[in-house]
Amino acid sequence: MSWPAFKIALRLRLPAAVSAAVGLIAVQLAVGALFPAVGDSIGKLNIPKGVARLLGGGDYGTITGWFRSEIGSIYGPLVIAALAITGACATTAGEEEDRVLGLVLAHPITRPRLVAAKAAAIGAVVLIIAAGTWAGMILGVALGGGGISLGHISALALQLACYGFAAGALALALAAATGRRSPATGVAAGVAILGWLINGFAPLVGALAWLKYLSFFYYYAGHDPLTQGADIGGILVLVGLALLLTVLAMASVERRDLLA
Amino acid sequence: MSAPPAIATSRLSKDYGSGRGLFELDLEVRQGEVFGFLGPNGAGKSTTMRLLMGLIKPTSGSAQILGLEIGNESLAIRRRLGFLPGDLALYPKLTGRVNLDYLAELRGGVDPRVRDSLIERFDADLGRPVRELSTGNRQKLGLIQAFMHEPELLILDEPIAGLDPLVQQSFHALLGEVSAQGRTVFLSSHTLSEVERVTHRVAILRRGRLVVVDSIENLRAVALQHLEIEFDEPVGAQEFRGLHGVTDVKADGRTVTVTFEGSADAVVKAAAAHQVRAIRPREADLEDVFLRYYRPERPV
Repeated sequence: MSWPAFKIALRLRLPAAVSAAVGLIAVQLAVGALFPAVGDSIGKLNIPKGVARLLGGGDYGTITGWFRSEIGSIYGPLVIAALAITGACATTAGEEEDRVLGLVLAHPITRPRLVAAKAAAIGAVVLIIAAGTWAGMILGVALGGGGISLGHISALALQLACYGFAAGALALALAAATGRRSPATGVAAGVAILGWLINGFAPLVGALAWLKYLSFFYYYAGHDPLTQGADIGGILVLVGLALLLTVLAMASVERRDLLA
Repeated sequence: MSAPPAIATSRLSKDYGSGRGLFELDLEVRQGEVFGFLGPNGAGKSTTMRLLMGLIKPTSGSAQILGLEIGNESLAIRRRLGFLPGDLALYPKLTGRVNLDYLAELRGGVDPRVRDSLIERFDADLGRPVRELSTGNRQKLGLIQAFMHEPELLILDEPIAGLDPLVQQSFHALLGEVSAQGRTVFLSSHTLSEVERVTHRVAILRRGRLVVVDSIENLRAVALQHLEIEFDEPVGAQEFRGLHGVTDVKADGRTVTVTFEGSADAVVKAAAAHQVRAIRPREADLEDVFLRYYRPERPV
């Protein structure tokens, strides 16, 4: 990995990562502050089963259920996947389309080392957002009267980070293989959204329930970290996928022509 | 043992289909020379440079830079050369200084005295984000990054694009110094005056194929020439049309301008049939060389 390339890639993405982390902290502070006042009434909502599954159970009557739905099932994965995917595509295919990559690769650095540095920078972005989620949830839960252990909050943040690694690595592999920012971003985002929908709806139809195993989201949220702690199997699958996709990205960019 | 050529290509090709690309380029650039690479847009100049830099891979053929194969010794090559891409792009949100720092770090550092002298020479603005800089000021940064590690070989794609005349002078002086130090410059251009002033030899590329490689002097010798002939009384252009070597004739009152290639004998003899007041030759420049090699009827 190239340390200068890592630093510059992270520097370019740092404002967005920090903003996202601060935003997630703010949302969780709001959830924690609102829960004591509205938890009882919202908890009585009758949410359809499919929608409830998409929302991580849709249990708004407990602080654990509310954080699982709001943060664990929606804001957390949405924000972390969005920044990982857009960041991975911008730092590789985006720089290629903008013709910066051609100049950088005229310097003594191999393409795989450059891609590895960019993957590490996206990994750091993911960790910043996961850390924001972790800190925000600790503060939000405390504000809401407690009820989720530090270990379980840490487990969610860890699994969220692994989900971000996998989403970012998928985008990186697509961007490195094609050199095209928009298609790579679109396909990676589509896979992430489809995975979220499959994980929510497939188990409702017995014959299609197996589809959930094809979803990144299942390995992130299939076992609830806020009540069951870290899912080592899911973490290993996500980290393994992230590593595999990163290696694919490094190999594919080495073999092809730069487009611009 | 003599030093290997700075650049040597053998049937180097990149076929993009539909006749686009580079075809069977055989070229040798000697160490220490400033070599011009001429051709209009789309002729294959940038493709050649991107092949040499390893940014794209050849369809067939091979190339060596400083005795090293471009395919499997690309990293060692890139340590020893500086590159300015055509249509240069840098990180737009970052300042010129941060961009240069980054590129220097990728090389493991550069001598700050060399870098600072280049910054001073080009009067470069390093404090503003690149997106706020004019094309010329961005090009200055591109030149600084290409020269700041004192490479043995410089590959420069349209280096004076956007530079004002004063900076162009500084750049030409720098090329002279680099050449005097025995370093090699391979530069492309469609600005013929630039190439004429600074290069030892030039190659002309047309539709992806090499047309000619020669010294400026030899190319001038075969260039289209012009004679402006002033007569005592008006003479018609038709008297010169069709003469051996004549390609164009313009008549304006008592003055006839004849463009021709090769010997002036037929033109002078035709003029001698009238009272001639003056004959004014115009020295051939590379524009004339260029036109000669690009005339559509001329076979490649």
